[in-house]
Amino acid sequence: MAYREKTAWLTLACMIVAYVIYFSLVLSGQVGPRLLDIVWTFGIVVSIQAIVVIIGHIVLAVRGGAEGRARPDERDRAIARRGGSAGYYVLLVGTIMVGVVMPFSDPAPKIVNTALLAIVLAETVRHVLIVTSYRRGWHG
Amino acid sequence: MAKPLPGRVVNQIRLLRFMANEMTQAELGERIGMTRQTVAAIEAGKYSPTLEAAFRIAQVFGKPLDEVFQWEG
Repeated sequence: MAYREKTAWLTLACMIVAYVIYFSLVLSGQVGPRLLDIVWTFGIVVSIQAIVVIIGHIVLAVRGGAEGRARPDERDRAIARRGGSAGYYVLLVGTIMVGVVMPFSDPAPKIVNTALLAIVLAETVRHVLIVTSYRRGWHG
Repeated sequence: MAKPLPGRVVNQIRLLRFMANEMTQAELGERIGMTRQTVAAIEAGKYSPTLEAAFRIAQVFGKPLDEVFQWEG
């Protein structure tokens, strides 16, 4: 498995675990409605996720040897572009929802959490496309 | 716009590596600035390289481009 595919799997797995925990807390009502409550809980989850991802990247880079230090080649870049492009459209829909539609009908905490969900979904789609492209091939 | 003709790019990289003293995928990758996995993906038809990369591969084996890559319709 390519080094960049491994890092994409790692990021995707950490992201799914972290945000399933965060949004479970939100849906079960354990996160208060104030901005500080949301930022505090989200901050803790993001910080733990970032630490795990950074440590994982370091471990993979060390184990990957020269490949871990190598710059992405044209296939890596093409796959990254594909993922970024798909994630952009998800983020666009989310932005329209939270910036144009929801302010007229929903309370602030819901808007904030929907914005966070849009970012998480966009990133998830990006990484799913990246790992899929590495697995199934890419003929961009 | 007309529908493109069906077909795919095939290549002789495995054979050419064999003829070049069993050059490894990693060695080829190093010479053309790609990872071993990308060379493996090209060889397996899972990734179509850019024209520039295709010329580089052909140059490594000292062959014209159409002896390395062919269009199978």
